Amino acid sequence: MVEIDALAKRFAVDGGEIVALSAITVAIGEGEFVCLLGPSGCGKSTLLKIVAGLVEPSAGAIRIDGRAVTAPGPDRAVVFQDYALFPWMTVADNVEFGLAARGVERVRRRAVSTELLRAVGLTDFAEKYPHHLSGGMKQRVSIARALAVDPVLLLMDEPFGALDAQTRFVMQQELLRIWHAYRKTVLFVTHSIDEALYLADRVLVMTARPGRIKAEIRVAAERPRDISSPEFSRLRRQALDLMADEIARSMEQEVTAGVTA
Amino acid sequence: MSEASVAGAVARPAGQPHRRRALSREFVLGAGTVVLFVAGWKLVHWLRLFPPWAFPSPEQVVGAFATTIRNGKLLTNTLASVERQIVGVVLAALVGIPGGLLLGSSRDFRAAFLPLCRMVYPIPGIAWIPMAILWFGVGFTSTVFVIFFTGIWPILFNTMAGVATLDGQYTDVARAYLAPRLFYVRRVLIPGSLPFIITGIRLTYGVGWRVIVGAEMISSITGLGFLIDDARWQMRPDIMVAGMITIAMIGWVMENWAFDWLERVTIERWGMKSAPR
Repeated sequence: MVEIDALAKRFAVDGGEIVALSAITVAIGEGEFVCLLGPSGCGKSTLLKIVAGLVEPSAGAIRIDGRAVTAPGPDRAVVFQDYALFPWMTVADNVEFGLAARGVERVRRRAVSTELLRAVGLTDFAEKYPHHLSGGMKQRVSIARALAVDPVLLLMDEPFGALDAQTRFVMQQELLRIWHAYRKTVLFVTHSIDEALYLADRVLVMTARPGRIKAEIRVAAERPRDISSPEFSRLRRQALDLMADEIARSMEQEVTAGVTA
Repeated sequence: MSEASVAGAVARPAGQPHRRRALSREFVLGAGTVVLFVAGWKLVHWLRLFPPWAFPSPEQVVGAFATTIRNGKLLTNTLASVERQIVGVVLAALVGIPGGLLLGSSRDFRAAFLPLCRMVYPIPGIAWIPMAILWFGVGFTSTVFVIFFTGIWPILFNTMAGVATLDGQYTDVARAYLAPRLFYVRRVLIPGSLPFIITGIRLTYGVGWRVIVGAEMISSITGLGFLIDDARWQMRPDIMVAGMITIAMIGWVMENWAFDWLERVTIERWGMKSAPR
C-alpha cells in the first residue's frame, strides 16, 4: 500500500516561486498498476521523483506500508526516461548495480542478473556494453536493473517516451508480461493517453501547473486490451476531454514562461 | 596547454572504420612533407645561409645520433628524463585526480581551494626552478618538483570539469539504488569523469614534457635538457638537434600511442568518445 498524502512542491525561481504540485493525495493498492497522465510541465515527473525520494517535498508525506519515506529506500526502484544505464559497465553489471551497491556478493548477483536478462530476452547481451544496444533493449536492461533489487514499488518515468511507435508497443506488452510475472506495484508516468489506458488499472489525470489530480479513470478491461474496441474509444474520449483544457493551459504557460518540465 | 589539446584532437582521424584506407593517403602526405622539410634543411645548410658551426646538416645529426648512442649518453640521458617525467606526472595525477574529484563534488571545497589554485596556477613551471634548487638542490627531486607543479593544473581542472559535467541522472540512479559514498566514487564518479581525466593526464604529460627540458638545463647534470645544454659548451649543434628530435619522438609516441591506447580500452569501448576533450 502506497499513500501519498497532501503532497505539495514549490520551487524558488528568481524573485518568485513556482507551485509545481499542490494537494496531491493518492492511494495505490498492492500490485496495482497506476498511470500518472498529464501534459508536459504538470509536475508528474517531479511527483515520481518525490516518491522515489530523490526530490524533497515542500509539504505532505509519503507512506509505504505505513512507514513514512523521505529518502530513497530498498522498497522502491526507478526506471528513468533515458535509460540512464552506465556506459562503462556491461549489461550484466548494470543490472547488478543496485545489488552491488547493497554489498551482495558476486555469485548471487550474477544469478539474479542471469535470471532477469533471460526474463527480458537479453541473455546473449550480458557482456555487451550499453552503446551496442537499441533503445528498446536499453530500456529492458533498465527494467531488469529495477527488478533486480526486488522492490515493492516500481517507479517508471516516461520509460518508453524515447522509443519509436512499434518498439513502444512491444515494450508495453513486455512490461505487462513482466508485471504479471513479478507482481510489483507500478507507478508509471506518461503523457500518452493510449499508453495509460493500455497499461493501467487506474489512470490519474493531472492538471497543468500547479499539478493536481484532476480525475481518475478506472480501466476494468481484461489484458491484453483491444485498443480498437468501443469501450477503449469511450475511455479515450473521456481522457481526451479531461486533458484538452490542461494541454491548452500547459502550452500557454510554456509560451509565457518559456519553461518546460 | 591548449596547443597540446588541439594537436591531440586534430591529428586523429574522425571515423574509426575508415582509418585504414585513409591512413595510406594521409601517410603519404605526412611523410612527404617530412621528407621535403629535411631536403629544405639540407639545402639551407648547403647554401651556407647560417654559419656551419651553428647549423648542422642532417647527416651530421645522424652522426651525432650514432655517436651518442654508441657512447651511451643518449640512452642514459633519455632514461633520466623519462624517469623524472613519469614520477612527476604520476605524482601530479595522484594529487590532481583526487583533488579534482573533491573540487568537482564539494561546493565548500571549491569555495575554499579554488581561489588559491587560480592564484598559483599562472606561475610558469620554470619560475619554480630557483626555489626548487634552494629546497632540493640540483638534480632529480627539483626537476620532478617543477614537473609536478606545472603538470598538476590540467589534471586537477579537467577532473573537476569532468565531475561537474557528469550527467545528473547518473547521480540520481546511484542515489535511487542506495550506492554508498565510496562505491559511488569508484563505480560512477571516476569512470563517468574518465573522458576528462584522460584528457587531463594527456595535457599534464604534454606540459610536463615541455617544461622538463628547461628544468634540466638549469637544475640538472643529466637528462635530455642537460644533453642539449651541454652540447652548447662543446659547440656541437648536431648533438643539440639529436636531443631535440629525441624529445619530439618520445612526446609523439606517448601522445599518439600510449594515450590513444588508454582511450581505446576505456571510453572508446564504452562509446563515450563523443564527450568533449
